[in-house]
Amino acid sequence: MGESESENEAPKVKLRPIVRLGMFLISHSHLLSVVCCTAGVLTLLLLPLLAKNTYISENALMPGSANPMLSSQEVSEANGLVKDLTSLDLKRMASGIESQRLIAQYMSNLGAEVSFQKFYPQSNQFHPLHFFSSPDSATIRENISCSSYGLNTVGIIRAPRGDGKEAIVLVTPYNSEKIGLGEALSLGIAYSVFSLLTRVTWLAKDIIWVVADSKYGEYAAVDAWLRDYYIPVFSGLGIQNAEMCHGLEENTIRERNMRDGFKRAGTMAAALVIKVADRSEQFEDSLSIYAEASNGQMPNLDLINIVNYLAVHRQGLRIKVEKMWSLLNCKWLKILGEILESLGHLAKNLNPQWKFGIPAADYVEGTATLTSSLYYQALGIPTGPHGAFRDYQVDAVTLEISSRVSSNNKGRQNDFLLRGGRLIEGVIRSVNNLLEKFHQSFFLYLLTSPTSLYAHANNLDPSFEKNESNHPASAADELGITLRSWKWLYAAKKVLVVHLWGAVVLLLPYFICQIPNCTPTTSFVVWVLLSIFSLLILFWILGSPFSYVYASQPQQREWALLKSVTISAAFIGLCLMSVINFATAEIGALLMVPMCLMAHPLKLDVKSRKLRNFSRVACNLALGFIGFPPTAFLVFKGVFEGFDGISVGDFWNWLESIWAWSSATYLYIGMIHLPCWILCIHVILHPC
Amino acid sequence: MEAKEQSKKKELWYWNWLIGSVALRVILIYFSNNLNLASRPEISTPLTSLRRLAEGYWLKQSSMSPYAGSMYHGSPLLLSLLGPLTAKRIEGQPDHILCSLVFVIADVASAMFIRATGRNLQIAYGQSLKFLDLVKLSEKSDILPSGDIAALVYLWNPFTIVACVGLSTSPVENLAIILSLYGACRRIAPLAAFGWVMATHLSLYPVILIIPMILLLGYGPDTPPRKLFLQRKYVEVGDTPSNDRCQQGEAVDQPELPYVFSWRPVIHFLFWTSLWLVYVLVLCGVSVKQYGGLWELFKRTYGFMLTVQDLSPNMGVLWYFFAEVFDFFRNFFLIVFHGNILFMILPLAIRLKHRPFFLAFVYIVISSMLKSYPSVGDSALYLGLLGLFVNELADMKFSFFLFCGYIGVSLLSPVMHNLWIWRGTGNANFYFATAMAYACLQIILVVESVSAMLNHDRKLRKLSATKVLDGKT
Repeated sequence: MGESESENEAPKVKLRPIVRLGMFLISHSHLLSVVCCTAGVLTLLLLPLLAKNTYISENALMPGSANPMLSSQEVSEANGLVKDLTSLDLKRMASGIESQRLIAQYMSNLGAEVSFQKFYPQSNQFHPLHFFSSPDSATIRENISCSSYGLNTVGIIRAPRGDGKEAIVLVTPYNSEKIGLGEALSLGIAYSVFSLLTRVTWLAKDIIWVVADSKYGEYAAVDAWLRDYYIPVFSGLGIQNAEMCHGLEENTIRERNMRDGFKRAGTMAAALVIKVADRSEQFEDSLSIYAEASNGQMPNLDLINIVNYLAVHRQGLRIKVEKMWSLLNCKWLKILGEILESLGHLAKNLNPQWKFGIPAADYVEGTATLTSSLYYQALGIPTGPHGAFRDYQVDAVTLEISSRVSSNNKGRQNDFLLRGGRLIEGVIRSVNNLLEKFHQSFFLYLLTSPTSLYAHANNLDPSFEKNESNHPASAADELGITLRSWKWLYAAKKVLVVHLWGAVVLLLPYFICQIPNCTPTTSFVVWVLLSIFSLLILFWILGSPFSYVYASQPQQREWALLKSVTISAAFIGLCLMSVINFATAEIGALLMVPMCLMAHPLKLDVKSRKLRNFSRVACNLALGFIGFPPTAFLVFKGVFEGFDGISVGDFWNWLESIWAWSSATYLYIGMIHLPCWILCIHVILHPC
Repeated sequence: MEAKEQSKKKELWYWNWLIGSVALRVILIYFSNNLNLASRPEISTPLTSLRRLAEGYWLKQSSMSPYAGSMYHGSPLLLSLLGPLTAKRIEGQPDHILCSLVFVIADVASAMFIRATGRNLQIAYGQSLKFLDLVKLSEKSDILPSGDIAALVYLWNPFTIVACVGLSTSPVENLAIILSLYGACRRIAPLAAFGWVMATHLSLYPVILIIPMILLLGYGPDTPPRKLFLQRKYVEVGDTPSNDRCQQGEAVDQPELPYVFSWRPVIHFLFWTSLWLVYVLVLCGVSVKQYGGLWELFKRTYGFMLTVQDLSPNMGVLWYFFAEVFDFFRNFFLIVFHGNILFMILPLAIRLKHRPFFLAFVYIVISSMLKSYPSVGDSALYLGLLGLFVNELADMKFSFFLFCGYIGVSLLSPVMHNLWIWRGTGNANFYFATAMAYACLQIILVVESVSAMLNHDRKLRKLSATKVLDGKT
């Protein structure tokens, strides 16, 4: 900004090279931003090529260095448990407490300390500032209905060699009202490992086995247990509610004993959630790893790597990762993959040292995986009960094992239990070796180095653009305006008002939810109408009073100022979001950066009838269309899942789900994306 | 008539916005439990936290030293003033509501004093411009009411609001500083002395403000460079006295004072300062008599500030540095860091002696950048004072960059703190990076504002030179 002014005053003076370079870049800023954006998108497409092989950075882990000790004896014990559970289910004993008692019986037979934890399901509440505060500030307990409660069963093995300060957690969610075979099997796997660990001598960390009652959802149960574990309630609301409910029950004394005996071990080093999928696989036993916690936070890379290593190299399980299946049949992706493959061959011919080509099929598969992981991280919803651990800084993953045949074949089941158990045993043994916390401090690791490159390239250009749009403005109005360097104030005020409106729009669904008997479509329509209404009101209130100071100054080229302020607002918002949830920022940047950079008043473009201007008009309209969050959602949904049966209600449902999980993505859409879109539309439709 | 109406409208406009800011504060105070602002390290430092004050008061009530256990480090006078209010709870209202209301009143009072100071400065500046015959400059572009703007900037600054709602004592400290500056501007020696003594007593760093205050009392409020007046006078004396010249000479005889240092108010000020100082010391001595006396008090308050004992993270840069530094270098670096503030005092005083109020602003920025436990309350003060120079700093460079930077840093720093402390996905470097960015922004602000001010002076000189030439021909 400053440079451009000094250059206006004395154009003849030979300038410093850096200033001249800056001027060159500013004068070609349009070209530059197009190049930077394309480079960013290309880098994103190249990511599957640039992915690195993972490695285990913590030496102490030593996965798979010891022989598995889990034998058929433990497996047969576990089989007994599975059989008992399934028979209990067949008998339909109705009350869930029976199965819990059974599990507790099995646990205490092994010599573990057993305790129960009672919890009440909480309705999902919206905590918009949850991310900025400690976990305990979200514990608002209200509207607890006494009749419905869940019961977690917790067993603890004290380590013979440990000082009781650290612990490893095993979680097996199961539904106490209806136990499926898969859940019974997952309990069996955990039980076999648990019974082995009561006997081993090498254990240095306590083992906690949480049998989470998933009657009200897996996440809620684990979350309730963790909250009680970390934030003991000494007095106040929690106990009072519990007491209140106890009055209604018969066996109060025994219940109280259960509750008072809440047992703790040390701080958690890691947690493993074990699940067995009910569906069966076609070819071989496979293992799915889910790691995304709330706001796309991932556990330590080493934990995933150990599981991966042990599953593939020791137990012969096939690792499955979530994919966007529809991308696999994508034509242009295949073509791109083939081009890249041939480029790789070419490079190899030129210099055998260059190895960056991968087969086209691998490339397509990698892209599908990448897209899906980006999407699930960006949603900010935890993909399993492991997400609850992340709030307490515990690394956790969910392992979902699915077997090849679902029949009750005895030998097959034994083999399955043995393999699953050995996998868990190996992971626990590795974590047991750890002397301190995991220290590989990655949290953007799925796409580590290459993505940072992408973000850099994409975020670079707003600053250039900003200079560009300020430049003509400062040239246009010479002296005579009082606040010469402060002339952006008016535009900044406008942007601020629109962002305030974004906050209002965010709060509206809270009230719309209260309306009874609303279909998603009608609530969406109500929401849109209320948003428009609030926008009008806000402009009416805030638009008038401050403006008289500036009323005397004609705002020349106001749209340019507005555009530059919008771009910097988008820049700040994307920077902020990239720290909170990188995937959201990345997807958001893909949509928003071109839109903000392209925005140009239609009137000016239409006036000068040139091809270049008309192409810009077309670009603007297309980007403005795709930039609106609902249309963006519907278009992408249509592309990936087919256009039939899509309605605007889907968007409402989707939004409600991320709202219920209080994901930062919701805040991003309302506070950053939507206001920037409105401002861009304002620039496009500016009367000049 | 129309002008009168206009000014009336402006007045109304000002009061509307003032009431609006108070209403906003009251609403936020009502929801303060949900916002949980008091626990943010950016808002409540070990020195300004009201929770610590309540703890100190509790200790004192149970006849222990309020400074026991390194909890409270503030002044004993503030303890006896605000302490009883922290203990009082009103049923159904948020905790510490009375203290919050005191802070709201302090904020409004600060804004009113800023406004009065701004008017005073503007009138004085207008007079000196008139004297230099540069009135056209001030009329060509309508002069903004800098006092009103500064007061509203102070009141509506999010930093001020969160400092007020977040239960930190910085509104009171800011009020003391503003009071002293106002007193000096109006040349009310007792008030200026009281403000300075209280400000120094509460937060120590305002001690360096004594230089701009003496200049303010001696020379009066900000003027264009003194050389211009001398030049002007020389031209007038040298000219053969024609009629209209004479008239003008008579008219300007009165404000001839600006470039004469008058010792009377300064002596008054020093006298009153010593009086207030003795008074405050006696009061402090009485209140800490049974807990180790004044020496213990100094060690626990000023010693705590100067030796940077609390290394919990804050917005400043010192905690990180002193967490890393070896113990045997610690004293050396303490001297270096605090010397940094002192080194800059003299050069700036020489360069900006004709603008003592601006000098005070620059000192406040520098000390809030380099102090051991900075908080957003300090930034609120200097950003408010910046509004007083809105006419002079119209050409300031990088204003938009600074604006965006302040917004970005103040949003990023809570996120980084959260990543480090609660999520465990970040580390101390993340948070410290935002602290460094914040410090850089403050440096840019101070450098750019000083250079814009000097440019403004240069412009005045140029204009006056052309005037003189015109006059000669």
